[in-house]
Amino acid sequence: MAFALRPTLIRQALAMPSSRLTTSAIPALRTQQYFLRRAPLALQQATFQTSSKRAILPPLPQRMEGTVNDAVRLPPSEPSHGNYHWTFERLVSAALLPITVAPFAAGSLSPLLDGTFIGLIIVHSFIGFQSAIADYFPKWRVPYLRKAADWANVLAVVVVGWGWYEFETNDVGLTEGVRRIWKAGSKAEGTI
Amino acid sequence: MSSAPSAESMRENDAGTSILARQRLNRPVAPHLMIYKAQITWYLSGLNRITGCLLSGGFYVFGALYLVAPYIGWHLETAVLAAAFAKWPAVLKVGAKVLVALPFTFHSFNGVRHLTWDTASLIDNKKVVQTGWTVVGLTVVSAVLLAFL
Repeated sequence: MAFALRPTLIRQALAMPSSRLTTSAIPALRTQQYFLRRAPLALQQATFQTSSKRAILPPLPQRMEGTVNDAVRLPPSEPSHGNYHWTFERLVSAALLPITVAPFAAGSLSPLLDGTFIGLIIVHSFIGFQSAIADYFPKWRVPYLRKAADWANVLAVVVVGWGWYEFETNDVGLTEGVRRIWKAGSKAEGTI
Repeated sequence: MSSAPSAESMRENDAGTSILARQRLNRPVAPHLMIYKAQITWYLSGLNRITGCLLSGGFYVFGALYLVAPYIGWHLETAVLAAAFAKWPAVLKVGAKVLVALPFTFHSFNGVRHLTWDTASLIDNKKVVQTGWTVVGLTVVSAVLLAFL
């Protein structure tokens, strides 16, 4: 029965003037209730929620899909996108650990090792971006944007791979480059 | 009497279902993100993705820019970049190095934490919180050390 009274209670609560104690011009004199950003007490008793109603991620346009009696539709699964993908992702991440520590120990890497480092970073980044794209652009919500993002991810691998190949060939390489820029203008410049 | 509504007849009954679908948007939304307690679990998880995207984004942007630099008149060779960076005031140099090192060290240490979980160790709540704070400490200390390298 309370639900029937709510509209009346809300109207009454909004009609009442807000308390002068909570709306002082001087912040020091404002009550704790002001800082908790709660509605006035009468409004709290009348509404469903007292915390902020800011619409973070509001509900999307709704659609009725099938009935409650329809069986769950499972997405198709292949080990290349499931089990093997998981293992490969962990292998790449683990391989990145020693190859990242090595330059700090040895100064910089040989071009072969440096190239491997760049390759592993690109593969690791591709997998990472793949997960982020799948999370934020679901097919059921933005099918074309998702497809475009997935292909942009692939294109980026080609462009970035080519770019870093040129850098490795024409310049000093990733680890040596970072070392030189990092130590630029310092007393340690020119030393390992 | 008529049989229970099937999927087909529900779709045919679009007027009713569309009213129901629209009415859902009039209902109050329960608070979610605005009341979720701040915890090291999801803060570090979000930070892992953010730092990963920042690092990879920067790596990708440099790779692509180096490829097109000659056609837009830019010079991105290490000699040029090192000479330009050397001219920065010392405070800005150290500050920039801290800002670049922080995402790198955090993502690396938290990555190790993730790989440990993949061996199914340190996965109870207490350990997750402890390792989380350890990663935060290691991140800050190593980033500052790297900045003064």
